[in-house]
Amino acid sequence: MNDVISESQRPRGLAIFHIDTPLLLGLLALMGFGLVVLYSASGQSQAMMQAQLIRLGLAFAVMVVFAQISPLTYKRWGLPVFLLGLLMLVAVLLFGEIGKGAQRWLNLGFVRFQPSELMKLAVPLAIAWFISNHNLPPKLWRLLLGFVMCVIPTLLIAKQPDLGTALLIATSGIMVLFLAGMSWRLIVFIGALVSAFLPVMWFFVMHDYQKRRVLTFLNPETDPLGAGYHIIQSKIAIGSGGLQGKGWLQGTQSQLEFLPERHTDFIFSVLSEEFGLVGVVLLVSLYLFIVARCMLIATRAQDNFSKLVAGSLTMTFFVYVFVNIGMVSGLLPVVGVPLPLVSFGGTSMVTLLAAFGILMSIATHKRILASS
Amino acid sequence: MSRAAQKQHAKRNQTPGIVGWRFVFVMLALASVFVVLVARAAYLQVLEPEMLVTQGDLRSLRVTSNTVLRGMILDRHGEELAVSVPVQAIWADPKVVLERGSQQDLRRWEALAEGLNMTAEQLNNRIGSDSRRRFVYLQRQVSPAAVDYIRRLNVPGVYFRQESRRFYPAGEVTAHLIGFTDIDDVGVEGIERRYNALLTGTAGRTLVRRDAKGRDIEVLEREDAQQPRNLQLSIDQRIQSVAYRELKKAVLTYGATSGSVVIVDVHSGEVLAMANSPSFNPNNRRNTPVHHFRNRAITDMFEPGSTIKPLPILAALEFGSADLNTVIDTAPGMLRVGGSWVRDVGSNNGKLDLTGIMQKSSNIGVTKLALSMPHQHLLDLYFSMGLGSDTGLNLTGESSGMLSHRNRWSDHELASLSFGYNLSVTAVQLARMYAAIGNGGILRPLTIIKSEQGLPGERVLSPDYAQAMLDMMEAVIEPGGTATRGRVDGYRVGGKTGTTRKAVAGGYGDDYVASFAGVAPISNPRFATVVVLNEPASDYYHGGEIAAPVFANIMNSVLRLKNITPDADGVRISKRKGGRDAG
Repeated sequence: MNDVISESQRPRGLAIFHIDTPLLLGLLALMGFGLVVLYSASGQSQAMMQAQLIRLGLAFAVMVVFAQISPLTYKRWGLPVFLLGLLMLVAVLLFGEIGKGAQRWLNLGFVRFQPSELMKLAVPLAIAWFISNHNLPPKLWRLLLGFVMCVIPTLLIAKQPDLGTALLIATSGIMVLFLAGMSWRLIVFIGALVSAFLPVMWFFVMHDYQKRRVLTFLNPETDPLGAGYHIIQSKIAIGSGGLQGKGWLQGTQSQLEFLPERHTDFIFSVLSEEFGLVGVVLLVSLYLFIVARCMLIATRAQDNFSKLVAGSLTMTFFVYVFVNIGMVSGLLPVVGVPLPLVSFGGTSMVTLLAAFGILMSIATHKRILASS
Repeated sequence: MSRAAQKQHAKRNQTPGIVGWRFVFVMLALASVFVVLVARAAYLQVLEPEMLVTQGDLRSLRVTSNTVLRGMILDRHGEELAVSVPVQAIWADPKVVLERGSQQDLRRWEALAEGLNMTAEQLNNRIGSDSRRRFVYLQRQVSPAAVDYIRRLNVPGVYFRQESRRFYPAGEVTAHLIGFTDIDDVGVEGIERRYNALLTGTAGRTLVRRDAKGRDIEVLEREDAQQPRNLQLSIDQRIQSVAYRELKKAVLTYGATSGSVVIVDVHSGEVLAMANSPSFNPNNRRNTPVHHFRNRAITDMFEPGSTIKPLPILAALEFGSADLNTVIDTAPGMLRVGGSWVRDVGSNNGKLDLTGIMQKSSNIGVTKLALSMPHQHLLDLYFSMGLGSDTGLNLTGESSGMLSHRNRWSDHELASLSFGYNLSVTAVQLARMYAAIGNGGILRPLTIIKSEQGLPGERVLSPDYAQAMLDMMEAVIEPGGTATRGRVDGYRVGGKTGTTRKAVAGGYGDDYVASFAGVAPISNPRFATVVVLNEPASDYYHGGEIAAPVFANIMNSVLRLKNITPDADGVRISKRKGGRDAG
């Protein structure tokens, strides 16, 4: 039996280095396209391109390193890292640095660091470890404990405030619980609870700027020069692209700086304006391919821990894409979520590729896990 | 955990059922969400793009026009009647003002307010407190000296913009005719309005794409500027000044509510002067009542009264129901026509020849002449002399008077027509009519633009009768005529007085319109002049008493100004004989 497994699952090609080839190709294609768009969105800034390339290189290295680590190791380290992350989140709230109006950064002396990024990985790992230790589907109390594990960091991050990241972390945690076999009755119950909780959020938890974002989302035209400015300019950029787009470097909304944050959160608008619907379909196809590949990895994973972690990380990635595109096209309120692997920006890119590293590790360590 | 146990564990983990189909569910959900995203983009890009493309263009496309100074308006000798001077508009960017705290620098801020003739408080109100506003005019058309002062104050957020200000050197003398421009340099009255396009030229137009900071990125279209042109009017500023001066004097002297003078070159149809009183200062129109802006010479209609009398006489001559020797009995000074009485002013004039009818302004005389021919013939001449139609001046607001195109006329209506009631004319129409008599019978369109040859005209009177009429008109100002005060020393002039009651609701009131229309010099006519005084308030209200002297004073100056050879001696005695004997 051992022989059969080793025969059918003998690593081929890049799998020797624990690299999943289709996923790698998908990521490279996406990044390449992203760089093309970024060149235009940055106003053809050499410096920005250089910074982004260095960041991509670093993130890629991180991915390769993470891919070498066995899922068993992740399972072992999930909880300690999660606890460490919690500590750091508390530290951020107490003596973190403030940047752009939010307290997100922790200065460790030699490097500035966002603990919330660490939690994006630690939360699914820890909850998956906690749930998969026992038979599935999990008992209700286990689910509740898992939920608490997810809620604590979410609230801590929402308090910073960083609604986007909090949303992503909540998704990753809840995704683990869902995939583990949360009963539909429970899901409906929680859904009802959340909708009952929304008004409470509105009046007691949400900051004014967050409320404004929601109001703006509901009707951006009420304040076209203030809060609605981003979304109106963005919709115009997307719409004026038409089917074919205005051509690379030719977008008026983006090149002429009507579009704010165009190289970070609103880069999708630049793409839409310059490449049109064709570009949008291409981009979404690339994302869909990556997500599909990751889901395949998740279903093929051999143990529940791996399955849950892979599924959760994939979902997180997907939520990134969905929230960003939804937000710039006016489907969702504006929350600060970058377009993964395309937007200009550092920390989140490293975290994302680390997540893909974990996924590759899960994809390529099957035999080892099975025989260990 | 033993190896076997672990295997067992792994195997159990591999078939957890629930987890499996949940993955499928999740995958399906994800795929459908991606479809939603693409659909959203497609909606924006394919279904809604026109609106959004337009919006995009609205944000980035700008039309800029390079301003050019408005063209000058000149009189026929190149005298400037309207000129543009470059001035500056001062504006502020409230955002910059508020951000840079310009208002806190009290010393400079108050100096700025002072330079703008405001209090600091007024200035603050102008700026407002909304830091999103980006433009507010502080003051427009500021003189260079004030601009210089404010520029040196160097207040952050206060800027300058080139614009031009219209200046009218002739002031109130030509105010009605020239009109004026609004603050944006667009003509809104008079010549300024009528010839706005020509005076403005077309400003050069450039369609540019701009970025969010207002920098020009690319030029999409460019249309070259049509340089504005200067406009040379037919007006002779010297004649205009004389006309205005004399008119103003008469309006004040006789307490008239208003008055107009029109002087036309009889050969070319050029309007040499067109003045109204009361006038206004076009360089500072503040507090001027709007009705003072009206160019009454072209807009206001009045019943011409006796100034129309040359027409029934000429009509009778042309028709043949009278000749130059016809004598008409006007005794006993009253005549019953269709149930109403026609009376002569004053007394019984007895038998009058045509010259006598003109000289005495006999209503009975012209009534009998008018009734001596088919009414259509009389009306034809009225129409062909330009009554009831516009004069060709093409000025904004010109009225065509009133003369109805009826087929059925009662005798009394025709009689009224013959002494100037039942129809309305404007001063320019009357001037055009007299010009046709003056030039030997050719009716030309009038023009306000200088044109030496004039526009082609149409013969409406035979030259002989036109000449005869000139002689009759001369008799009017001679002793025994109604307008002896219309005499001009050294020149032969002629004309006809008019005094009409103003129509009010239900009949005629106690107000009068006094008028005089004349031609000078008679031996070789050059000018047709019409003087109208509206509602004189003094004891004198007859055209011969108050309008004829205006005519005489104006002609006295104009004939000399234009170097016309005096024609009053020698020729005059022999020519005058026929008329005087008859009168």
